[in-house]
Amino acid sequence: MDIINIPILKIEDFLIASIQVALYDMQAIQFKDAVLQKIYDSKAKGVIIDLTATDVLDSFVGRLISDIAAMARLMGTTVVITGLQPAVAITLVELGLELPGVTTALNLEKGIAKLRQITEKNADGNA
Amino acid sequence: MAMPKVINIQSDLDIVAARMAARDMAKAMGFGAIDQARIATAISELARNIYLYAGEGTVTVSEVQQGIRKGLEVICDDQGPGIEDISLVMTDGYTTSKGMGMGMPGARRLMDDFEIISIVGEGTKITCRKWKR
Repeated sequence: MDIINIPILKIEDFLIASIQVALYDMQAIQFKDAVLQKIYDSKAKGVIIDLTATDVLDSFVGRLISDIAAMARLMGTTVVITGLQPAVAITLVELGLELPGVTTALNLEKGIAKLRQITEKNADGNA
Repeated sequence: MAMPKVINIQSDLDIVAARMAARDMAKAMGFGAIDQARIATAISELARNIYLYAGEGTVTVSEVQQGIRKGLEVICDDQGPGIEDISLVMTDGYTTSKGMGMGMPGARRLMDDFEIISIVGEGTKITCRKWKR
């Protein structure tokens, strides 16, 4: 089995991972584990998972994305999903998968703005 | 008409192969981007069911014609345990915990025609079609 190689980049306090290839189930699970470990190691305040290049999102990967967002939240980190294509958004809703609890943004730029907003608000709340 | 394509499903890699084959054929037939995504997603759900519940089986993708309308037909065939209660697996939210319970009813919504024949102990055959508009 191929070991998945999706770079998880760190910029300031945020992690950015862009999924560029169709993931096999096993790779998708490895990706989940890798993101969570990287959150822990890097102490990132937020994570962006960019799906601009993803043209199919089925219920398996959909569930995984929900899981990553929920698990990251438990660790104290916010996940924002960016760049869903219209066809993917339409298919997800028709499939019955609206990803409740998952924060999304139109593109990477808006995703970073959203993460900043959320993490600054959290910081104020803690002060 | 394009030649039918048969994909053997034995691992999670084959799920991706099946949906890519379906998508390629849909694209070649002139389906739009949204229908391509619908078809690919439905096939991903059905191929995963074969892999998870039957272990192995086949997905056959072919071009069909009915009068003047053209469509893409997908037949998912396995010799797995079969489905005891079809209406139950077609219910939104019913899951055996391996997915979100959206696979079967979701795939039906994404396609136009959807037929299941399943015999307990013998296997399951799902035939679904998407027609070009």
